Amino acid sequence: MRKATTSRPGSRHRAAMRRQGIAFGMIRGFSFMTIALLGLILGFILWKGFRYSNIDRSTLLPHAEASPDGLVLAVHGDQDMPGIDWEELYGMYTDEYINWSKLDQSDFDLVPVAVDPLTEDGARVEAFLFGSEAEGGFPLWGGLVEYAGSAEAALKVVAERQGAVTIVPAAAAKAFPGIKTVPVRRLAIAMNQDATEFVDESYLEDLTAQNIRDLLGGRITNWKKLGGPDLSVVPMAPPMGSALAAEAGRAGLTYPRPTVPQPATDMASYLADIAGTSGAVGVAYAGDATLAGIPLAWMTRVKTGWNLTLRYLLEPPRLSGKTGGISSIIANTFFMLLLTLAFAAPLGVAAAVYLVEYARQGKLLKLLRLGTETLAGIPSIIFGLFGFLFFVNILHFGFGLLSGSLTLTLMILPTIIRTSEEAMKSVPRSLREGSLALGATKLQTIFRVVIPASSPGILTGLILAIGRAVGETAALLFTMGSDYNMARGLFSSARGLSAHVYLLFAEGISFDKAFSTATVLVVVVLLFNFAAKRVIGRMHRQAAA
Amino acid sequence: MQQSPPKFSISDLNLWYGTSQALKDITVDIEERSVTALIGPSGCGKSTFLRTLNRLNDLISSVRVEGSVLYEGADIYAPDTDVIDLRKRVGMVFQKPNPFPMSLYDNIAYGPRVHGIRDKATLDDIVERSLVQAALFDEVKDRLQTSALGLSGGQQQRLCIARVLAVEPDVVLMDEPTSALDPISTAKIENLLEELKKQYTIVIVTHNMQQAGRVSDKTAYFFLGELVEYAGTKELFFNPRDKRTENYISGRFG
Ligand SMILES: Nc1ncnc2c1ncn2[C@@H]1O[C@H](COP(=O)(O)OP(=O)(O)O)[C@@H](O)[C@H]1O
Ligand SMILES: [Mg+2]
Repeated sequence: MRKATTSRPGSRHRAAMRRQGIAFGMIRGFSFMTIALLGLILGFILWKGFRYSNIDRSTLLPHAEASPDGLVLAVHGDQDMPGIDWEELYGMYTDEYINWSKLDQSDFDLVPVAVDPLTEDGARVEAFLFGSEAEGGFPLWGGLVEYAGSAEAALKVVAERQGAVTIVPAAAAKAFPGIKTVPVRRLAIAMNQDATEFVDESYLEDLTAQNIRDLLGGRITNWKKLGGPDLSVVPMAPPMGSALAAEAGRAGLTYPRPTVPQPATDMASYLADIAGTSGAVGVAYAGDATLAGIPLAWMTRVKTGWNLTLRYLLEPPRLSGKTGGISSIIANTFFMLLLTLAFAAPLGVAAAVYLVEYARQGKLLKLLRLGTETLAGIPSIIFGLFGFLFFVNILHFGFGLLSGSLTLTLMILPTIIRTSEEAMKSVPRSLREGSLALGATKLQTIFRVVIPASSPGILTGLILAIGRAVGETAALLFTMGSDYNMARGLFSSARGLSAHVYLLFAEGISFDKAFSTATVLVVVVLLFNFAAKRVIGRMHRQAAA
Repeated sequence: MQQSPPKFSISDLNLWYGTSQALKDITVDIEERSVTALIGPSGCGKSTFLRTLNRLNDLISSVRVEGSVLYEGADIYAPDTDVIDLRKRVGMVFQKPNPFPMSLYDNIAYGPRVHGIRDKATLDDIVERSLVQAALFDEVKDRLQTSALGLSGGQQQRLCIARVLAVEPDVVLMDEPTSALDPISTAKIENLLEELKKQYTIVIVTHNMQQAGRVSDKTAYFFLGELVEYAGTKELFFNPRDKRTENYISGRFG
């Protein structure tokens, strides 16, 4: 049909319209794609910055017990800890941890407090941690442990000292002021040794929550299905009426039908059954199973939480930024920008004044303009090298705020000169004449009329230049150094936001923190751009008036 | 009327922009407390002449001036002339209103401030007096702190006049001050001139013959950089001596 119509008069036109339609469609498509891509990138950074989501391997079920064996773990009331793993709890009392940085990212010293094991309460705690001697347990109290005469005495220490922990009977901790109790995760899936054998280089895979329900519920009948050996699954039920059975119930684990002819009636024989029955699987306390030498199944669990919190903004960084916040880094960035502005704004405006008002328009001026334009296009790393050589070494300023800010000043000066020059050139001649005709001097005219009239343009240039400075990384590492503590003076090494992002990432310190710092950086840059837009908008409104 | 010495006494004034001559052998006296109108076709040198009176042509680097311009008997082109002081005494209103992008108050206080007046009460006084003199006070007294750019064109021009009056000049130069305004604003400014000439010496460039006829006491006709004829306004209009003046005027009124 198309072919038939080619000779008709309107067809050429229609074909052209169609081509135009396609072209428009493509342009629209591309622009939407660009916008979508932008949104995606920004959204991704913000999302990653605000939330962390880590896949973590553990042998523990996510279920946490408020008071395991009638005991509670007590911490200082200000401690922020939603739950603790059995291994961590055990490690606290066996000298595995000496401070809280790995536990809840605060940097208090860890003070494990135990009730004297010779008292009744103390003996209960010892049995809870290390197993009763009847079960083959042997107390391995760490050297850091401090002993208290009673549960109350132990709680008193914890209430007064942030970083201290203790384990006491639940009744003692109830309504005790100044403390907080932390639920403990200690339920695990114990398996018979045979299920963990290597077969054809394949090993039992990490279990999911669904896998565990299916294993215990008898819906997975062979370990082969989970990458293990060709072996029947024998689900075991914990002793009827035991604390373990009750806890497993609370954790949502069910045993729909009896699985072995005679379910064990006490814990010891239950564990012995798992150890002795090929292919057996059952829920157990991690500590008991480890003591009995029974392997535990690995599970994957996804840990999510807030990454960018108010605390992150207000706390100084610790451990190279792995923990803590970025308060000092935000402050350093602020100092750096302020100092850079203090150098660059007067210099840039003065240079622009010279170029517009005083320099004779000629070859020299053209050369000067070419120079500024070229400087504006030079990669920032070159400025970094120059700054390192000149400010850090030749002038002996060392790595510090001053060297960094001077380097940034050189970097953004051309931009500031260019924009200020344009702004001043656009001030109408009639305003200058008006001022001069009133008997003002040239200098008065410049300071009272020309600069104020061009201030929106000058300000916009400054804001955009500062936006570039805040994103600078490499040049600053060469000149400002990378100390993440708050700068103490002009010659003090300091780290800004972008350098922090770079170092967190490049040194593999923390991917999550890199993203949350990046988010802060993005917000800062957006704020600068927003401010520039507002100023430009005001300028246009003024021009229109 | 007693004859007082002329405010300006210009003799054999020649002016060049680079190599092109814009003013040729101008010799003229400008009388005190009168309105002198400068007329002539576009490009004949009226603005250039006006700007020699406050040395605003100095801003253009290619300008060269010869001859003498005596202001109250002293040559303003003499090397020891204080140009700042001259411009303070010889104010200027431009063709297009050029208020500064600041408040009304700051616009008017600008001149006194650059001349060193800091006292708030004094400045308040000056601002009010200048606005009253420029017949603008009643219209704007409630918005002195708002931007001058928000005023209408006619108000802006009167503000510029007030701004000049605030430095208490002696002569006011006006370069086609109403050419960018509507008839009502123009009438207001013409009435204002009537008042101002009692106190100031006014030199006004205009393209509008009726305006020159209405407001001026003397008129100078410029043509191609020459001062062709200078006489009382009525005499020049009704009894021109030079053929070129007659042609221009009859063409204009025609
Ligand atoms: N800044 C300048 N540079 C060079 N020539 C100028 C300049 N200003 C005016 N001229 C020339 O001087 C002559 C007189 O101009 P002007 O005084 O503005 O005339 P008028 O005000 O009577 O229209 C014109 O030929 C104009 O082109
Ligand atoms: Mg003119």
